[in-house]
Amino acid sequence: MKSVSRNGKPKVGIFGLTGCAGDQLQILNCEDDLLRLSERVEIVDWVMVRSQNDHNCRLDLAFVEGVVATQRDLAALKEIRARSRTLVAIGTCAVWGGLPAMRNDIPRDVLQKEVFRQDVVLMDTVEARPASDFVPFEYMIPGCPIERHEFLKAVHAIMAGVSPELPKVPVCWECKTRENLCRVVYFGEVCCGAMTRGGCQARCPSHGVACSGCRGPVEEPNFDANITMFKDRRISWLEIARRMENFSAPVWFKMGLEQEVGGEERH
Amino acid sequence: MKSGTRTITISHLGRIEGHGGVFVKVVGGSVRDVNLDIFEGSRYYEALLKGKHFLEVQGIITRVCAICSSTHTVAALNALENALDVPRSERIHRLRGLLVLGSTIESHALHVFALALPDFLGFDSVIAMASKYRKEVTFALRLKQLGNRIQEIVGGRAVHPVNTLVGGFGKLPAPADLIRIRADLAAQIEPLMEFVDLAARIPVPDWSARPLVHVALRPYEEGFRFRGTSLCTSRGEEYPVSEYREVVREFTVEHSHAKHAALASGDTYVVGSLARLRLWGHLLTGNAKQAFGRLFPEGVPDNILWNTWAQLVETVHCVERGIEHCDLLLSMPQEKSEMVEYSVKAGRGIGAIEAPRGTLFHEYEIDADGRVLFANVITPTAQNLASVERDLRIAAEHLLRLEVEGGTAKLKSGLEMVARAYDPCISCSVHVVRLPADADP
Repeated sequence: MKSVSRNGKPKVGIFGLTGCAGDQLQILNCEDDLLRLSERVEIVDWVMVRSQNDHNCRLDLAFVEGVVATQRDLAALKEIRARSRTLVAIGTCAVWGGLPAMRNDIPRDVLQKEVFRQDVVLMDTVEARPASDFVPFEYMIPGCPIERHEFLKAVHAIMAGVSPELPKVPVCWECKTRENLCRVVYFGEVCCGAMTRGGCQARCPSHGVACSGCRGPVEEPNFDANITMFKDRRISWLEIARRMENFSAPVWFKMGLEQEVGGEERH
Repeated sequence: MKSGTRTITISHLGRIEGHGGVFVKVVGGSVRDVNLDIFEGSRYYEALLKGKHFLEVQGIITRVCAICSSTHTVAALNALENALDVPRSERIHRLRGLLVLGSTIESHALHVFALALPDFLGFDSVIAMASKYRKEVTFALRLKQLGNRIQEIVGGRAVHPVNTLVGGFGKLPAPADLIRIRADLAAQIEPLMEFVDLAARIPVPDWSARPLVHVALRPYEEGFRFRGTSLCTSRGEEYPVSEYREVVREFTVEHSHAKHAALASGDTYVVGSLARLRLWGHLLTGNAKQAFGRLFPEGVPDNILWNTWAQLVETVHCVERGIEHCDLLLSMPQEKSEMVEYSVKAGRGIGAIEAPRGTLFHEYEIDADGRVLFANVITPTAQNLASVERDLRIAAEHLLRLEVEGGTAKLKSGLEMVARAYDPCISCSVHVVRLPADADP
């Protein structure tokens, strides 16, 4: 990739909005690979790891994790977009909204009173929404947290000037290739694997645990087949929908969940 | 410069987890206000948990914070099992112990080497430090990686474990994996002790020293442990964990999105590695005991800047204790998974644990259908915040007197160093889960 810097090394920024910092931690967890990467790029703005950061320079490549949950987050996100040539959303919060966006049906002032048990003055808080709702991103890497290999693969592809290829198959597909016993068919569990995008190599079912949908919905999930599969096993569609909502409520609603749930009462 | 008002601003603290800044107002040469401003957004976990099934709690609450996800997991599972009267088998107890040790190794290695050490050696980041100290940085990253591998093998993932369930584990680690981890842990001791020798020669500044009240859990058995049943202070007080809400009083401050905490007496206090060593350092054994003696020859000082070296001593302990856990686990009969039988019932339970940054409390109440009625989480960083501000004031006063030497830049970096010494985890501190307003406290 072409660089804005004189020494030819692409300038990179890594940023966190509101979130658990898990995706930034996964980048740090690349350890040796990160050291090698730092020889090929210049990481100029990464508050979590550096204390002398350049907050104004142009960036060839930037990564953003987290949700917009404050006005401050939104201003920061717009600034990052304006100074970045290629912007990548990392993690389910930035891509889908993640856990913080699960209950946007509750007004913030109600939440504030409930959580802090008093009126808090000057609190900067807005409905939590994915960063991808506010600015365009060139690429998105979902996951809660992101998988290290997907991050490294994406960085290398972008630096080589090609689009990173992320798996489009559902977790269910990867689960079959690992020859796990199906959590729905054999154990009657509420498993989100059929509707969740893969890339994690079916991490949870491979540990004998149902998929929680943390990577967000796969493109065009087969709702009808899923409804039948769950109904046949006496699992209501509402149960599975509520589970999927945990990590991707905003997009899940856009995909027409309410209609699918039909007359069933929302909890 | 003696007259007039000036404000020293660190708008965004670097090399810490989360988003916060420091503001110091100086009037007529003396420090008037010191604010640690936490501007991280709120995620209202309490509202997210309400009405959820108890089996979903761990997967949600672990995401309060990435670095501490394994300790949040163990605290939550212990609390839920206490609520449901689920017995814990020896294997589950040990596996969770190993998970906590792995997470503490990872967290401490990250803070000691990557976040704090650049201050002591004059670099702006661990990446820059690698240019001069490649060998040391490579060792530190390997150590951190080992902490992650332990969490992967036991918890199924380095960040936000998936294998950990109420009553057991989805899949037990393969003996071959435990054997490998054991060997890798054993290989860390020598380089770690070499680093202890190196650290003992690095001077620790004294400009943030002030009398501190240290608080930590009493170990559940004789020895240096991260799990315990009562809360002890360095003033000799002791309270059962069941009374934590009486002992830890939380209050809000206008400039911060995080709550502050004090003891019922009104005193601020510190939790974390330094507090644990102050209270239970005499229980350390083996190389950890040697490291403790080497780095703290005159005992544990009332100065938070020593917290980084306290974490280093604990890292040695975790490595040695991890070996013991592997041996114990390997001596047990081989199984593929482990799940205790239990039935769902209404109940309330508390789980307390020493997380890398200090004492962490989780409490849940569930109804007869297993739905969450009530949740409360008090994190170590929330408990430390009031102390951080006190220390920043002491440091600012001290550094102002020395200011001739380095100007504002030196003052700022000194204040950053103090804030960083606490290893604050701001994601955790903001996302304190609170009591619902209608619940009786």
